[in-house]
Amino acid sequence: MKRDSGIDRRQFLLGAAAVSTLAVGCAPLTQRVAGRRRAEDISMPKRGGSEAHRFLHRAAFGPIPGEPRRFAEMGRDAYLKSQLHPTDDDDPAMKFLLSRLDVMRMGSAELRDLPEGHVMRQLRQAAILRAVYSQWQVRERVIDFWTNHFNIFAHKGDGAYRKNIDDLMVVRQHALGKFPDMVRASAQSSAMLGYLDNQVNRKGVANENYARELLELHTLGVYGGYTQKDVSEVARCFTGWTIENRFMRPRDRFRFDPNTHDDGEKLVLGQRIPAKGGIEDGNRVIDIVTRHPSCAKFISTKLTRFFLGEAGEAIQPRVEQVYLDTGGDIVAMLMPILTSDAMLDGPPVLKRPYDYLVSSLRALDAQTDGGEPIQAHLDAMGQPLYGWPMPDGYPDRTTAWTGTLLARWNFAHQLVNNEIGGTSINPDGLAPYGPLVLGEGADGASLGDAAALLASPDFQWR
Amino acid sequence: MQEGCDSYQSWSRRAILRGAALGGVAWMAGIPSALANLGFRAQPDGRDTLVVVFLRGGADGLNVVPPYLDDDYHRRRPSLRIRSPKESAAGTKTLDLDGFFGLHPSLAGLYPLYREGKMAVIQAVGSADQTRSHFEAMSAMERGLARLGPGSDTSNGWLARYLNHTAQEGDSPLRAVAIGDLMPDSLRGGLSAMALPDLGAFRLRGDRAFRERLTEAYGSSNDAIATAGRETLRVLDTLNRLDYAGYRATAPAAYPSSDLGNALKQVAFLLKAEVGLEVAFLDKGGWDTHVAQGSTTGWLAGLLEDVGNSLAAFTADIGPRLGKTTVVVMTEFGRRVYENSGLGTDHGRASCMFVMGGSTRGGKVYGDWPTLADDKLEGTGDLRVTTDYRDVLGEVLTRRMGLDQIDTVFPGLRHRPLGLLG
Repeated sequence: MKRDSGIDRRQFLLGAAAVSTLAVGCAPLTQRVAGRRRAEDISMPKRGGSEAHRFLHRAAFGPIPGEPRRFAEMGRDAYLKSQLHPTDDDDPAMKFLLSRLDVMRMGSAELRDLPEGHVMRQLRQAAILRAVYSQWQVRERVIDFWTNHFNIFAHKGDGAYRKNIDDLMVVRQHALGKFPDMVRASAQSSAMLGYLDNQVNRKGVANENYARELLELHTLGVYGGYTQKDVSEVARCFTGWTIENRFMRPRDRFRFDPNTHDDGEKLVLGQRIPAKGGIEDGNRVIDIVTRHPSCAKFISTKLTRFFLGEAGEAIQPRVEQVYLDTGGDIVAMLMPILTSDAMLDGPPVLKRPYDYLVSSLRALDAQTDGGEPIQAHLDAMGQPLYGWPMPDGYPDRTTAWTGTLLARWNFAHQLVNNEIGGTSINPDGLAPYGPLVLGEGADGASLGDAAALLASPDFQWR
Repeated sequence: MQEGCDSYQSWSRRAILRGAALGGVAWMAGIPSALANLGFRAQPDGRDTLVVVFLRGGADGLNVVPPYLDDDYHRRRPSLRIRSPKESAAGTKTLDLDGFFGLHPSLAGLYPLYREGKMAVIQAVGSADQTRSHFEAMSAMERGLARLGPGSDTSNGWLARYLNHTAQEGDSPLRAVAIGDLMPDSLRGGLSAMALPDLGAFRLRGDRAFRERLTEAYGSSNDAIATAGRETLRVLDTLNRLDYAGYRATAPAAYPSSDLGNALKQVAFLLKAEVGLEVAFLDKGGWDTHVAQGSTTGWLAGLLEDVGNSLAAFTADIGPRLGKTTVVVMTEFGRRVYENSGLGTDHGRASCMFVMGGSTRGGKVYGDWPTLADDKLEGTGDLRVTTDYRDVLGEVLTRRMGLDQIDTVFPGLRHRPLGLLG
C-alpha cells in the first residue's frame, strides 16, 4: 500500500494522525507513530501537563502524541502563524478523507434524494474528522465557535440539506476573515433564512425572528442598545430576503424578491434608511450593526470567554479595541487572546462534549471514521452536532454539562476497550501512560489506566 | 384501582426504611434494600413532590387558552384563531372552561382533570422582562426574578434556592432531578440536583476496578466536576438497585412515545419507588411558532397534544399519589396578539400557566383579563402581564412544599397568592 504518497514529511509530522487514517486497517503505520512515544508526549490535562499541553488543549482540540514536543521546538509564535494562516480549505489528507462523503460532493438538489438521517450523519462525520485530524487545529476550534454563534438547528425544515453550504460559505469561508463579511454571508445563507424564518418575512406584517436574533445573538447582544421598535424596523428592512423556490431555478439559493419587500422609509438605531432602498436596506442594517460599538463589545467578550473562560475579562477590552480598529478582523482579534498569559495560567474551562470526545481521540491517537457509533456517544453526552434547537448555540457554562459525566465515563471505557464501531486505538501503544497515571517508576499501563485517565476530573477541563 | 396501585399505597415510609421486604410487584423488588443501605429520606415529610414542565420557545397562551368571547381575539387572528364553542359552523372548537376562556382542543387529555377540579389555569401571566428575547426571559424566570438587567446577578435558579434553603441531613441523591441531558438554570446551583437523560440507560460500563478508580479520582477535590462526579456515583448506586426497564405504567395510563411522555414516565417511576424525589424538572422545546403555527391542527396543535396526553398519562399513572404531587406548566413568554405574514406569531408578553394536583383548587381560570383592545395592549401589540409568575410559583412553594420564607427563593417579591391551592 502506498501510504505516504503525495504527503511530505512536514505534513506527516503535523498531521500524523490524519495520515494514519489514510492507511485504514494498516497497523504498521500506527505502530510506527506509537513506537516513538515518550511519556511527555502523551496528552495530559491542563492542570497536570506542560505549557505545551495546556496551550494545545485551549487553542486546539488537545494534542496528539508527539505534538507537545514539536510545539515546544517550533515555538508558540511560529505555531500560531501557521495555524492562523492556513494555505488551503483542508489539508490533502483531509480532502481525501472527506471526498468519500456525499455531502462534500453533492449540491443540495442531488442531496435531497438522500434520506435526511444520512445527510445529518455525514455532516457530523465531516465535523468530527476535521476536528480530530485537521492540521489546522486552531481554525477548527474557531469554526466550532462560529458554528455555535451562527447556530443552525439542522432538523428544522430543510436545514440538513442546507447546512453543508452554510458551513462552507458562511462559517469556514469567513472563520478567520472579517466578522461583517460573515454576517453578510449568514444573512443570505439558505440555512439561516430557513431556520430563522426570514424566507417568509414579507411586507405587511413582517416576521421578526431573524431580525431579533441578528441584533441579539449575532451582533449587538441583548443589552446592545436596541429597542423593540428597532427589531420591527430591521425586520422591515429584511422583507423579501428569501430562498429561491421558483419553478426551474436552482433551489436553495438566496433571492431578493422586490415584490414582497417593504420599500418605505425605516429608522434603525437612530439612522434613517430612505424609501426605495430595495435590497440595500438589509445591507445598510448589516453595516450599521457591525460598525456599532456594542457589536465590538459583544463579539470580543464572547470570543475571549470561549478561549479563556472567566479569565478573559482582563483581556477583553484589548480585543474590543482591535475589533474597532480593524473592522472586525478575526485573526487580529484572536492574537491578543491566544498570546495572553491566561492561556497558560488562567483557571480551567470545562470541555464541552465535542471538545472532550475529540481531545480523547487525539490523546490516544485513535483511528476513527467519525461515523454513527461515535456520534451516538456525542449524543449521549448531550451535544449532537447541529442539534441545538435554539439560536444561541450550545451553552458554554460549566453547570449546563455537569449532568453528563456518566456518558463521558462510558465513552472513555468503550474507547479504550475498542468497543466503538468505526473507531479503534492501539492497545499496545499505551505503555507511556503508566508513569503519568500511576506515578514515576510504574511499568507499562493497563487499559484501565488509560480509561481512568480519560474519565478523570482533570481531563474534563481544558 | 389496580392491584399494583394498592401495594404502592401500603408502602409506608417507615416500612421501607426498616427494609421490610414486601415483595409483590417485580420491578420494585430491590427497593427496600437500596434505601436501607443508603440510609436517606424516602419522602419529604408532609411536602408535595413538585413537577415543573417548562415549554421553551414561548408558548402561545392566546391559542392554548383562547379568550373565545373576546371579539378582538377572532379579529386579530383570522387564520389562526380557534373557533368559539358558540359558533354554528362545523369543525373543531375550543373546549369551554368558564364561559369566556376555552382550552385548545388538542389538550382534550387534560379536560377531565380540569372538570374534576384538579387543574387550574392562569391566564395573562408572565415576568416583567421586556426584551422579548427567549434567553433573557427564560433566564429571568429560571432564576426566579422579575427581570434581568445589565449586570444583574446571575446566581442560582429558583428551584436551587428552594432546595438549598430546605436541605437537611440525609437528603436523597435523587431529591431533585431534571430529565434531560443538560442541567436547566432553574436547578443550577442546587444541592443534589442531577440531570438524568434516561433512567433505563443510567448504567456504568466496565468492571468493578473502573468503578473504584472513579470513586478515587472524584473523591477529593471540590470543583464543579468533582462534586458532580460524586453525585453521579451516588445516583448510580441508587438506580442500580431499581429496575426501570421492567417498569409498566399503571393501566389505563398510556404515555405517548415522545420525549415528554418518556420523561414523565420516569418521574412516575421515581415517585412510586419512593427514593425521596422532591423536585422534577422537565422541558419541551419547539414553541417558537413564527411561521405556519396552525390552528386546531398543525404545529402548535401537535405540541399541545403531546403535552395533554403525556400529563394525562402521568396523572393516571401515579393515581392517588396525585394528592401529594403538584405539577406546574410554564413558558417564558406568550406571543403577539395578531398573526404575522407567515401565519405565525412573533414574540409577545403574557402567556398562560397550568397548576395541577390533588390539592389544586382547579376548574377555574385565574388572573385578570387585560383584554385585547388596542389601548390595553403593550408595545407593538402584546397581551399585558397581569399576574406575576412568581406569585404562582411562590404559592406552590409556600402552600405545598414547606417553604417558610418566600424571600429566600423570590427576593423582593410582594407575594399576592391567587388562592390556587388548598
